Amino acid sequence: MTRTPAGWDVEGPVQAEVFVIWLNGETLELTGPCGAAPWYLELGAVDHPVEVVDRIVREVVGDPLLVHSTSWRRDRDAVILSFVVVIEAGRVGSMDSRPIGRADLARSEATAAPRDIATEQVVEHALRHLAWLAVDDPVVRAGLSPAWQAALAGYVPEPFRNLG
Amino acid sequence: MDAPMSERRIRTRCACGWEASGPEGEVVEATIEHGKRLHNMVATRDEVLSRAEGVDGDALDDAGEVDDGPR
Repeated sequence: MTRTPAGWDVEGPVQAEVFVIWLNGETLELTGPCGAAPWYLELGAVDHPVEVVDRIVREVVGDPLLVHSTSWRRDRDAVILSFVVVIEAGRVGSMDSRPIGRADLARSEATAAPRDIATEQVVEHALRHLAWLAVDDPVVRAGLSPAWQAALAGYVPEPFRNLG
Repeated sequence: MDAPMSERRIRTRCACGWEASGPEGEVVEATIEHGKRLHNMVATRDEVLSRAEGVDGDALDDAGEVDDGPR
């Protein structure tokens, strides 16, 4: 019997979705070792999500400026924990990168999650979350340069929320 | 006569776009390393082979062997 290969992909009940973001001049860009796209990590039963994301980012990309969880949702047959990882421009190297566009947020109903959530909406929310932290959290504020804070100024601050 | 296992050539593709092709042993090792390093995945040889294909698009059978079609 033959079969069609399913391909190799991250699985498991809890997965991390990492958005590696850097400031190219005045423009926020998405990059990462898997291209300018979400980067998925498998999370084991005893893994601490933040520790796993931080460790693998350091090993693969280099030391980040900031690692922060910004939302969660159900997708890919799993609970997806989204992280924004801020890196210096010098870490991008040969990784693909593209400017981040704006998007409308995926809004929940009063007692139900949004039905569909696009990657662009997750990134939009992540940056609004980061904009909120840049105002509210002294550690984050200290970790972001004035240029970064200026780039985030166009995002309406918004704290952690469930996206799905 | 079948080719020795070490000479069989396979291909694996990761959803992130990474792929490897070549001798089975090298591809399995590279795929396990890719999964561990970039995706925090722990995979066995059998798990890699279960999602591999033969080079030139040959499918593998359920036992991870290249299926040459009817004989």
